[in-house]
Amino acid sequence: MTGKRDMVLIVDDDALVRRFVGELLHAHGYDVHLAEDGEAALRQVGELRPDLVLLDLVMPYKDGFEVLNALKHDPATREIPVMILSVRDREEDVVKGLNLGAEDYMRKPFSTQELLARVRKILDRRR
Amino acid sequence: MHAFLVTLILFTGAVLASLALLIALNKAGREGREHLDRRRRHILEPAVFRYIHETGHRALPNYLPKSLSRRDRRVAEAVLLDAARLVRGEARDRVTAAFEALGSVRDAILGLRSQRWWKRAESAERAGLMGSQSAVEPLVAALGDDEGEVRIRAARALGLVRGSTSIRPLVGALADPNRWSAIRVAEILIGVGPEAVGELLAAYDRLPVAGRVSALDILGRIRSLEAVPLLKRTLNDQHPDLRARAAYALGLIGDPAFVAVLIEALRDVEWPVRATAAKAIGRIGGRAAIPALCEALKDRQWWVRANAGEALRLLGPEGRDALIAMLEADDTYARHQAVAQLEEGHIIDDYIADLGSPDESRRSAAVRFLEKVIALQRHERLTQQSVEHAQEGIRRTLLKILNRPLPEGGT
Repeated sequence: MTGKRDMVLIVDDDALVRRFVGELLHAHGYDVHLAEDGEAALRQVGELRPDLVLLDLVMPYKDGFEVLNALKHDPATREIPVMILSVRDREEDVVKGLNLGAEDYMRKPFSTQELLARVRKILDRRR
Repeated sequence: MHAFLVTLILFTGAVLASLALLIALNKAGREGREHLDRRRRHILEPAVFRYIHETGHRALPNYLPKSLSRRDRRVAEAVLLDAARLVRGEARDRVTAAFEALGSVRDAILGLRSQRWWKRAESAERAGLMGSQSAVEPLVAALGDDEGEVRIRAARALGLVRGSTSIRPLVGALADPNRWSAIRVAEILIGVGPEAVGELLAAYDRLPVAGRVSALDILGRIRSLEAVPLLKRTLNDQHPDLRARAAYALGLIGDPAFVAVLIEALRDVEWPVRATAAKAIGRIGGRAAIPALCEALKDRQWWVRANAGEALRLLGPEGRDALIAMLEADDTYARHQAVAQLEEGHIIDDYIADLGSPDESRRSAAVRFLEKVIALQRHERLTQQSVEHAQEGIRRTLLKILNRPLPEGGT
């Protein structure tokens, strides 16, 4: 493992999900940051420039699609990969998310091992 | 008298003050307990999460403080119940194992025997979230509870636990619509997903007609390929409701290979079967069905015509051309349904826009098409556009085709 740890920003309005996924990624060597809504997410992406954003869709103020759209339209953040992690499992949501530029889409409830594998895959591709 | 009143006031004041004190103490006690729970959760939650996230064989108690108080056990259980909603797969199995190790499953099973119905209902729900196979038998027994709420929560719990021993009694519940809400049981089985298919197929022939109707709906919504032979066979069942549901289910599964049998179903003697067959073809989108759908536009039942028309509209350019050709059909019903669908699909608007095309052949084709629509007495949209369309030239052409007077200054 190199000195610098990959930084993941977890964006979810559900504190339990933030803590649960945060603990999981932290235990596997990631530098984890948390944001509780879309606006906080955009602010933190600007400040931290994470290696990956793990994004919920259903959130107050700014939903996940709006956040994704904003990230992908800003030249400074468009290269940051985004993975959606949502309870919304309709085909149109998955297609919309991927069309807006998300790297991957996972439905809740999720397999922790599968989440780790996908996160690793995205970060490996980015290197 | 005066002394009596004073005593009464003092007594009432004392009672009210005692009550207020009691409420305040109760509230303080509850808040104190909640505060302690939060503090313990702050300590225990990371340990429980660490246990769930790992893949080894160490049980949950190895991650927690050695002497676990009752409060700690309750808090750890609350964390596990929250986590159970988030995860599936191996992590979910570890959550279930943790409930068993803490004794929570045993408590939930005991709760199912409570005298109070709300306690039994709550225990059934908890047992379902815990996902332990050891709760299956008591939950199946709870399906026979006198209280409806307990029965439905036990059914939901069995849907969460899964496994054939859980699913079989749920499928059996479809046979007893007087005791069960078939819709709620169906929703539970749909939630179970492909795992429910085997039991549904095995029980199908033993179910009464109402139960079979539900089973076909569930199989369609699960989109089970395993159910296809049964669904195709059911298209020839003597009961029309079953034939109709089978056609609908095939449409939900959506394999283009089903179009041939659905074309056959379009010729069924019962209109609900023809209507659902048309709907199913619309979902699947088979071009081979165009001639049969055009024929179905002449059906005496509006529902069949509407679904056949919609299916043609959804077929894209070939379906649109077929609808345009049907404007000259011998059958009035078919012509009117074709116009309705062309309007719904904005094809009429496209032709109206063509009236402003620089290409003479497109303008002429548009005029010929719109004259056919007018001949069918369907000129509401054209009349509206003759007033509202953004291009004056198109408004004028429409007025001419409609044989209406041009506004002053017109040529």
